[in-house]
Amino acid sequence: MEHNLEVINLTKNYPEFQLKKINIKLPKGKIIGLIGENGSGKTTTIKAILNLISYDKGNIIIFGKDNKDLTKIDREQIGIVLDDSFFSPILNVNDINKLMKYFYHNWNEKLYYETIKKFKIPCNKPLKEFSSGMKMKIKVLCAIAHKPKLLILDEPTNGLDPIFRYEIIELFNNFVSNSENSILMTTHITSDLEHLADEVIFIDDGHIILDVSKKEIDNEYGIVELLENDFINLNNEDYIKCLKYKNAIYILVNPKYKFQKKYPKLEIRKPSLEELMLLLVKGD
Amino acid sequence: MNTIKGLLLKDLDVFKNFKGNIIFSAFMFIFLITIGSVRSEIFTFGSILFLIFFGMNSISSFSYDENAETDKYLLSLPISRKDIVLSKYLFVFLNSFIALIIGIFISFIITIIVRGKVNNIGDSLRICLIAFTSVSFLMGANIPCIYKWGVEKGRMQSVIIPALFIFLIGTFGSLLLLLFPELYTNINLLYIFKISPYICLILNILIYVISYLISYKIFFKKSI
Repeated sequence: MEHNLEVINLTKNYPEFQLKKINIKLPKGKIIGLIGENGSGKTTTIKAILNLISYDKGNIIIFGKDNKDLTKIDREQIGIVLDDSFFSPILNVNDINKLMKYFYHNWNEKLYYETIKKFKIPCNKPLKEFSSGMKMKIKVLCAIAHKPKLLILDEPTNGLDPIFRYEIIELFNNFVSNSENSILMTTHITSDLEHLADEVIFIDDGHIILDVSKKEIDNEYGIVELLENDFINLNNEDYIKCLKYKNAIYILVNPKYKFQKKYPKLEIRKPSLEELMLLLVKGD
Repeated sequence: MNTIKGLLLKDLDVFKNFKGNIIFSAFMFIFLITIGSVRSEIFTFGSILFLIFFGMNSISSFSYDENAETDKYLLSLPISRKDIVLSKYLFVFLNSFIALIIGIFISFIITIIVRGKVNNIGDSLRICLIAFTSVSFLMGANIPCIYKWGVEKGRMQSVIIPALFIFLIGTFGSLLLLLFPELYTNINLLYIFKISPYICLILNILIYVISYLISYKIFFKKSI
């Protein structure tokens, strides 16, 4: 299977933080979600992929080339959304269109304005007068209007209300539907990935604690809500993590069929990504 | 080349934000030049006023970029670090140069209208060029400081470093005159003033090239 992006043993040392041996393989036509707490290393990984920071060890391969050897033409095949940076807020949608035409040979002005119209974004208003959701829509639009093959998105649904999020998610699903394009995205809103991601990578304290396909989560992982009396009867090897919350104890099990066989009376349900993240990071 | 054009256009858009201030200041300056030209037939005052005010305004484009973290975004597009630094220098240079030309043109016209004639055109142009070189020097010392420390954090260094350079150059000049007092004659000073356009040209090239190389080296190593 061909990959649009490969991150191999990426290591970056800061005085107070270390990114340890991050591995990501993003095949064509797939979406990978990178999730984790604030400060877990998601944005550092994205920055290293984009060559915005140097790294100490490892390799980053984009379209089969080292990321440091990418030509301008290669880089035109990548679309970016960064949560915290964009053009000056005094620019408007028309200004951005003019600039992007200079930066991308294959900038699709028609697609840009069609989507602007679809999203009901005013063209002459400066960015500073937009809501954060509107600004995010423009950022996403700038990332896709030159028809890239790879999208790298840092918190692309941040600040969006559910209806905007739905529209953006639809946009991403359409983007990968040709089986050539791929998306790597970080997000805090794990519910977005439930409908979007093919694979989910959990990062905690600079290293990957779980790299699993969405299918595997659905088929193999289970969550069981127990009372303290029921929990005492379990063996440690029956579950991966447990977390006490209010009056109940939640346990994460894998594979769930094995647990179900051993404890047929206990009810197992599919974990949400948020529950999975919470149990993996905060559970014992 | 297209990328550089785009980056210049991005910086030019910054001026949209203070369009009102620019127009108001231009009218104020025209008023001051008109008053000044009643007393004098040379047009250096107004030209330098335009040069300093509008020319040095280009520094605000760094501030806008810093606030929006635009460099980070630009570097994730097909734009190199070299393009970003080069476009900034071109913007600063063109901005100062155009401000000077407009300043000279307006001052010249006003002086003609008010006084009916303009005296010492050559000397006035020489003084304008010396002022332009001084602005280039200040910008040339400022920009690497901005790349190193940022607009906000580098505010102090942006004042101290050019001041230090001026102090060193002044000290060197004083020492030179102390050791070779025969250099300090009217003939030499007049001669230097006469050839000042050539000296200014060489100094401007040196200032911009050296400053660009320092800034590029800083920005190349910088984690964004």
